[in-house]
This record gives sequence, C-alpha cells and structure tokens, in this order.
Amino acid sequence: MSETEPKILSFLCSWCSYGAADLAGVSRMEYPPNIRVIRIPCTGRMSPKFILAGLRQGADAVWVSG
Amino acid sequence: MKNLLEHTGIEPGRLHFSWISSAESTKFVDVVTKITDEVKTLDPANKKYVKTEPKVD
Amino acid sequence: MTDYTDKIKEIAKRVLAEGKVDMVIGFRAGTVPMMNQPHYAASAEAVEEMIWDSNCGLNLANYLTDKKGKIGIIAKGCDSRNIVTHVIENKIKRDQLYIIGVPCTGMIDHHKINAMFDKEILKVEESGDQITISGSGFSETVSKQDLLAENCAVCTHRNPVEYDELAGELVDEQADVDQYASVSKVEAMTADEKWDYFDDLLSTCIRCYACRNACPLCYCPTCFVDESRPQWVGKSQDPTDVRTFHLLRAYHCAGRCTDCGACERVCPMGIKIREFTKKLNKDCKELYGWEAGLSLDQRPPLDTFKADDPEEFIK
Repeated sequence: MSETEPKILSFLCSWCSYGAADLAGVSRMEYPPNIRVIRIPCTGRMSPKFILAGLRQGADAVWVSG
Repeated sequence: MKNLLEHTGIEPGRLHFSWISSAESTKFVDVVTKITDEVKTLDPANKKYVKTEPKVD
Repeated sequence: MTDYTDKIKEIAKRVLAEGKVDMVIGFRAGTVPMMNQPHYAASAEAVEEMIWDSNCGLNLANYLTDKKGKIGIIAKGCDSRNIVTHVIENKIKRDQLYIIGVPCTGMIDHHKINAMFDKEILKVEESGDQITISGSGFSETVSKQDLLAENCAVCTHRNPVEYDELAGELVDEQADVDQYASVSKVEAMTADEKWDYFDDLLSTCIRCYACRNACPLCYCPTCFVDESRPQWVGKSQDPTDVRTFHLLRAYHCAGRCTDCGACERVCPMGIKIREFTKKLNKDCKELYGWEAGLSLDQRPPLDTFKADDPEEFIK
C-alpha cells in the first residue's frame, strides 16, 4: 500500500451513481475521499477521449459508473 | 475500451466500470472503497500515461 | 491479377455508356513504381488509363463518403466490406452504386520491397505469381507470396461480399491462417513489456495523419485531433500524445475495421498501425462474434444492445 493518496477520476451518471452518491451523503455514510466526481448526463455521454484525457493529465485511475 | 488499454500496457486496475442504481447508496460506498483500495496497491510512480514536459537536449 | 485490367476496362466502359453510372472509381498507374493512384473515370478515354495489379492496396471505399450521383466502384474483398460499412452508416446509398467485384489474391507490400534494396527501384513488373523488381544495374524476381502485405497474408475475405458484377472468377479463401498471431504475442507479455513494445512501435510516428486520411472509416467532418476546444490530444510528437492519437483512432474503428491495411500501406515510417485495430477486431470477434462489413442487414455490435452482451468488466 502506497503512502500517497491516489486520485480517482469518476464519471457518474446523473440518474444512477450520482444519485447514489447523493443518497450516500444524505445518509451520512463514509467512503474514501479519493474520488473526484464529474457528473455526466448519462453514461451514453461517455467517450474514450474522456478516459485518455483524464489519465494524460494525471489521474491515477478512472472509474465510469452508470 | 479496457481491453485495448491493457493491451498497450496500462495496468488493468486503472480503469473501472460499474452499475449502481440511485437507490444503492450502500453499493456506492462499497464500490468506492474497493476501487480506492485497489488503486492504492498500484505503484503511483507507474503513471506512464501522464504527459510530461518534453525533454530539451 | 493483371489480367483483370481488360475486363475492368470493358465493364467500366459499358456501364458508363449505358448511363448506369456517372463515373467509375478505380486505379491508374502512379508516377513511381508500386504507387497506384485512385482514379475517377467519367469517360471512355479516362477508362483507358485504368489498371489493376498487386499495388492496388488503397481502399477505394474511402472515396465514396457522401458522394452524389451514380458511382461505379471497383472493389476487392476488403473494399466491398468497407462499402457495406458505408451503406450501413448511411454514408452512401446502395442503389447509387454499381460495384465491380474483383476477387483478390493479395496486395504486395512496398515497405518490404523498398527494404530489400539499397538502390532506387525503377520498375516492378508482375506476371502470374512472380514479381520482378528492377532498377539501374539490378533485377530480381521474387514470389508474390513472399511480398504480400501482412494483412493480405492473413486475409480470410478475398472475394467481394457485395457486388453487381465480377471481373474474374472467385478465388479460394485462405483457411488455415492465424489472423491474430501478432495480437496473441503481445497478449502474452506483462504490462511493462507491452508498454515498451508500443513505445518502440510508435517511436517513429511523425503525426502526419496519413493513416487517418487513407482510412475509409475516418470521415468525421472534424477529426478529434483537429479539435482545439477542448483539445483532447496535443499536437506534438510527445509520446503520450502520439499514443493518445493512435488509441483514440483505433477506438473509432472498433467493430468497423475490415483490416484492409490502408493505414499501414500509407504510413511513411512503416509503423505497424494494425496492431491496435487488430486487437479490437479480435475482441469484437470473441465477444460479439462480429466481423465488420459482411452483411447489409446486420447492425454492428457497438450500436445495438442485447441482453446477453458480455459484461464481466462491470462491477
């Protein structure tokens, strides 16, 4: 396990995972602070460009969730 | 998507996909924790894809 | 394959005279050996310039995008599959086309031939399955089989899949070739070895985009490499940018690439660009049982949904 905290670039669907994240927040659940959320209108909006651009600019990992 | 990235030598743990419904906050917390743990096991120095300043000779 | 030339000319003249088409797209000899040019023939005189030999490796489907009027086109196996892809993607209508099918026995690789000699090659002649390469002070005859472009050597669709008329007898398809040998080799490597392999592969790329321009699939009005707001990929020869370009280009071809080899043929640096698209072709075949451009009635896997689509990668 590394010392540094990784940055995970997250693309969350507005209607699914983003809602889940919201609910998790409202419910005062705890989860690691490593994710950086980008809300997308639908995972259909996802493009390989986004993933490569994220990795190129220094994200440790990319997570796409619908 | 994932297959070709791995094919060209990016570790599989650097790209994740999941399905979470807006009612599944527990699954959301679960998945975030799992992914974070997995990414932490990767070598942070191994971020090959990051664009670096060009070398000047 | 040189004997197709007369038959092609005859058909082209006939369809032009009958008014079935406004022009016929084919090849004419280039100004240097092994570099045949695409040729639009709209008159009987222009048809006379047409030729057909083992240097017609460019994909003519590339010249059909959004064309108006009736067009005759000469199609090898791979061209015909790309024409099918074009029709499926609404880039041209099937009834605009008169397809002159050419059963193909493979095209020769000019990179290979140029690498064989130090001197300038002045003439490349073909007779049957023998190729004679000559220049000032040298001449050598080689079997065509040894000079085949890599994609042709492992091609399993030599006969056109869609045509209105044939310019020759159908040829036997190659059965016992391993299409994905090079992919399997890379798959066996570790992540670091793979990274180094592709670093080495792409190290000579000069970002001329010849591969994109020759590709019949690359017809976006604005290519992602030319977009500047946002800029998805840098324009330099930085290794990351080069790799981003090649990866994204490959993704755009996923489930559409017919492995015609046009990208490799036109690469001035001789980069094996097919290594990327081939991996995606292999995935498409393994995951969806799909090979591009074989039927006008089937939708490609990436624009349809089936309940049994593979989803192991999703948590």
